[in-house]
Amino acid sequence: MTRSWATMEDFEAFLDDGGLVEADDPMPDAYRQAVFAFIEMHANSELMGGLTERDWIPKTPGLRHKMAVLAKTQDEIGHGHLLYMVAADLGVKTRVEMLEDLFAGRSRFHNVFHYRAVTWGDQVAIAFLVDAAALISQQAVFKNCSYGPYKRILRRIIAEEGFHMRLGEDRMLRIAEGTDRQRLMFQESLNRWFWPALQLFGPDSESDDVLLRWHIKSERNEVLRDRWVQRFVPMLQSYGFTIPAPDMRWDAVRHRWDVGSIDWEPLKRTLAQGGPDSSRRIREAADNWSRTAWVRAALSDNGAAANGAGNGSTSTGGS
Amino acid sequence: MRVYEVFVKKDGRNEFRHVGALEAATDELALVLAREVYLRRAEGDRLWVVRRDHVVAAPGDFVDPNADKPHRHHDGAAVAARRMAARQSPS
Repeated sequence: MTRSWATMEDFEAFLDDGGLVEADDPMPDAYRQAVFAFIEMHANSELMGGLTERDWIPKTPGLRHKMAVLAKTQDEIGHGHLLYMVAADLGVKTRVEMLEDLFAGRSRFHNVFHYRAVTWGDQVAIAFLVDAAALISQQAVFKNCSYGPYKRILRRIIAEEGFHMRLGEDRMLRIAEGTDRQRLMFQESLNRWFWPALQLFGPDSESDDVLLRWHIKSERNEVLRDRWVQRFVPMLQSYGFTIPAPDMRWDAVRHRWDVGSIDWEPLKRTLAQGGPDSSRRIREAADNWSRTAWVRAALSDNGAAANGAGNGSTSTGGS
Repeated sequence: MRVYEVFVKKDGRNEFRHVGALEAATDELALVLAREVYLRRAEGDRLWVVRRDHVVAAPGDFVDPNADKPHRHHDGAAVAARRMAARQSPS
């Protein structure tokens, strides 16, 4: 179906009515750019997250968890593949242009991947708190997203992120029930990761946020952030950990935890590629890209021809 | 490199379903990549990949007229109303 909208008002009425935009629709350019930038950042974050996860494969304790980290790494890289394809189909940048921009520090990825994971406790905190934060924001996008290809691919990504979060909770429980030293390690990780995870949702949404107006996002940043706080603050406390928020208080009237004022400077620094581990992360990702050039060459048109992997040589077995 | 559309079938009952797309140099590599990207957790037991430039898509408003043919449906409202009336009238 090819549709067209004479004016932005018509297009917005279509979106307000729950309409889904498809890749070949003649969407307004501002919408195309906004939805592209959103998906590109998500794709970049999956790739950067996958590379972080990969770093921990050799260091993960125990075979069962090591296998789970292997699978999670493949999931994150797989999500990158799905999202770069959806983003490329918008025709703003090719997949290679997106990757080149990422490795040159010209495009953004989530704040949490601008920090270094030092201990296994950090990795557990990431798997639990950060994956939960990502899941909460992705679920809110999925619920009412106006861009059809992104909405459909999110269904699959969310299902897999659910596995990751449960895996993170499993590891967190193991540490919570562990030795004093393990509990101390996780408390230190919580001190490092609580605020970056909370800031993943971003500052309060602007009243004229086009992502909300065009139903790319369906809920305001502060609503999502609060959902995360109300869920994880009591949970972490029930396991005997301390939330590193000195001004936090229980609001008996609203019946909610209030974490107090939030310092947004660290988030701003990460968005300008100036986070504590930004330059190393970007350099590592770029090095990884050049080290794996031979794989891409082998999978390219020329490489596949040289290896005799011709078209039509495989039977699909029909229907 | 070419773009392939990926279709997966879950079991004997359901239809093939479009799940997404990918880039690959050959049909064989497209199948391998589709399996690794879309089928890591037994999401289906049959897989099709179709080159995007081989998909024949209906142009523009080709299928739109069929949205306006009420005589091809029957909502049963008239029959239901008469049944209801028959039940309510003392016989």
